[in-house]
Amino acid sequence: MEAIDYNMGTAAHDLTTLERKDKALARYKKERDWFAFLLEAAEMMDTPEGKLQVKLLNILLDSKEKVISSVMNDTPFVAAYFCTAPEILNAMNLPWFMIMETPFLAASAPYLLDDLRGAEEMGLGTDLCSAIRLPMYYIESGLMPVPSAVVGLLSPCDGTTMLQQVLQHNPAWKNVPLFAPDPPYTSDERAIRYFANELRTMVSFLEEKTGRKMDMHRLREVCEESNRTYKLWQEYNELRRAVPCPHGWEIGGAQAFAVSQCFVAGDPRCTDWFEQLLECGEIKVKEGRGANEYCPEKIRILWFDIMPYGWVFEFMPWLEQEWGAILVMDMFSNFPYTLIDTSSEETMFHDLAKRNLMDVPMIRQARGTAENFSSDIARMVKDYKIDCVIWPGHMGHKDGAATAGIMRETCRGLGVPFLHIGLDLFDKRYTSVDEVKDKVSEFFRGMGLG
Amino acid sequence: METNIKSKAFEELAGAAAGLMNPAIEAWKAAGRKVVGYFCSHVPVEVMTAAGVLPFRMRGTGSTGTELADASFSSINCSFPKHTFNQALRGEFDFLDGLICISSCDHVRRIYDNWKQQLSTPYLTVMSLPKKNGQAQVDWYYEEINILRAGLGEFLGVEITDDRLRDAIQQVNETRRLQRQMYELRKRDRPPISGAEALAVMVAGNSLPRERYNDLLRTLLADLENTPGRSGYRARLMIVGSELDDPEYLQVIEDQGGLVVTDSICFGTRTMWVDCSETEPDPVRALARYYIQERPACPRMNGAQPARAKFVQDMVKEFAVDGVVGERMLFCDFWCAEHYMNKADLKEAGIPFIQIDREYILSGKGQLQTRIQAFLETMGR
Repeated sequence: MEAIDYNMGTAAHDLTTLERKDKALARYKKERDWFAFLLEAAEMMDTPEGKLQVKLLNILLDSKEKVISSVMNDTPFVAAYFCTAPEILNAMNLPWFMIMETPFLAASAPYLLDDLRGAEEMGLGTDLCSAIRLPMYYIESGLMPVPSAVVGLLSPCDGTTMLQQVLQHNPAWKNVPLFAPDPPYTSDERAIRYFANELRTMVSFLEEKTGRKMDMHRLREVCEESNRTYKLWQEYNELRRAVPCPHGWEIGGAQAFAVSQCFVAGDPRCTDWFEQLLECGEIKVKEGRGANEYCPEKIRILWFDIMPYGWVFEFMPWLEQEWGAILVMDMFSNFPYTLIDTSSEETMFHDLAKRNLMDVPMIRQARGTAENFSSDIARMVKDYKIDCVIWPGHMGHKDGAATAGIMRETCRGLGVPFLHIGLDLFDKRYTSVDEVKDKVSEFFRGMGLG
Repeated sequence: METNIKSKAFEELAGAAAGLMNPAIEAWKAAGRKVVGYFCSHVPVEVMTAAGVLPFRMRGTGSTGTELADASFSSINCSFPKHTFNQALRGEFDFLDGLICISSCDHVRRIYDNWKQQLSTPYLTVMSLPKKNGQAQVDWYYEEINILRAGLGEFLGVEITDDRLRDAIQQVNETRRLQRQMYELRKRDRPPISGAEALAVMVAGNSLPRERYNDLLRTLLADLENTPGRSGYRARLMIVGSELDDPEYLQVIEDQGGLVVTDSICFGTRTMWVDCSETEPDPVRALARYYIQERPACPRMNGAQPARAKFVQDMVKEFAVDGVVGERMLFCDFWCAEHYMNKADLKEAGIPFIQIDREYILSGKGQLQTRIQAFLETMGR
């Protein structure tokens, strides 16, 4: 038998179930090893921020190990998303992985560009969001473990809806049970009740398909723990109002999202991480120290989207070093922090629905009408003394692209400069890092910033 | 459009499809009656018809640029909303008394937000369309239709009663039945109407008063019986895709010898292949079920891909189709992934398929000609 290429995705339709399982597991382990490598590097940093990275990576690795163990032992595990009420999965003690895990959490991995090329060779359209194209490619090429059940995502964009459908079309996945809660376009009480009902149906679905039972006492514990996290997160973000801002792009933004809303939503380790983050921030604010001790803060940026995960290390440090431009706030870190009322089953589902419709980043802004684009920008610009707003203009964020004029007008009204770049957050071939740097530099110079 | 059809009715229909305003709308407005625009075929036109307004399906016919809309949209947005919104900013839709938007796709749904900010059409609303088709979604859309019914009724000062809705369902079903009769003629070995001509007739149905349109269709069907059938074509084609309202696009395909005999597009069969129930006691319930579960689905409906694939393959058989052309407007994620799956499904079924990306306005005519010629050649035609 020919050796299976575990690294590159080739059409997986000819693989046996066992071969496919091995191939997917090998890739999943490879990604785990990437995180283990990052952990080793973080362990060498003898700073409070380094210790936070270590803690975060240990949490991530633990969740990866649980999935690996489930695959190897044929026990139930789920493929889902950060915005499909992960509190429920944790309350049901269901190991799970995020279908968009690689672009969101492991985009710095050395194989990302090869994977993007693989997706192109497979015929997936290049104007389709790269964060959608990648998981489609992993599914089609047998690089993603086939789970016991899928909790699908139908918002915030058209791409996510199609990702679920390509997944269901794939021969190895088509018989995997899937439930995708339907997100309403509106944001009123009727919408929350509707989505709460969808979440209840999701629980029934998971119980039936995985054999795991929901214990409402356990859900209450998870929600209460998650509330503690959200309070700490809110408190921490208050600290980021300080001038200079205690942290920049490296800590407290994307990591806070990963810790609070992904694998350990409602886990004491998550609360512990935030306590440490808060303490670390408080010390820096008291001492008047900024994010980067070698680069004094000159420009306070609101980066209104996901960070450029695919080339973050080539760009974000440059912003600080070249311009003293500190990423004070981003789309993933600031929202109403809805606390779950745990007084009854009904209130828990109601507030979980509210949180997952109206708090979760990207879903909050892009799921419905454009009000949250402008109101969030206005709020953050005022609260965080923002000097300029950067809308990266990721090639996949098409509803956002159609809101560019509204965002620009909002910023004009606030008297704050606005930059729309046009790039791919995961694929630096789309707009090169140098080109992005040129655009940003030109913007800063033109606006008299820095 | 060049045509063999000798029919005054066809002339009027083709004329209505060729522009935005037409004499029937002018007469309607002159009589003091209202026109309400709408985006996407999931908006229940029956509610507008029941309210006594003329439903006008939004399109950017005649647009040549997006210079005004470019400040609101960006280079990765589909050209359909950009051209249409540009027309709106130019005042081409000033004849509208209202506009109903819907959460159809990432590009078109933002027209609501931009319209709200920049234009002052008296009545403006947006509907929340579910992304799957279960019973809970029918219930949700039932409420959405009732919200539309109440809001539109209040704006117009009209009570949209159940009886009015039942009448409207019958009228719209009559349109659907007549349109299907026209499609029946396209099953013939020598169809009396081309794909481009049929599309013009379909588009016109979204910009003429319902009764007038139905009368014109009846006359056209009679005229088509006396129209010589088309022969000498190289292959019978089906067109599958999204918003396509330009008959000229199909004309280019047909000029290469590929006769378009049927479709799955949202100005075509997806709007009329199935009727809405006339016997359901609650007409709003009938509409909700029709728009969410019964009419042929589009890719935004999760879980309906197998049904959509079956619909295409059933049409291929029914209309003796030789090959399928999958059209897609650039930057459309729905049709990007849908055609990726169509390609695999049709390959398995042994049906030739080509995907062609396009802009909303016909800008790459030469490229389209070349690709269609190549497609016909690969089919051995």
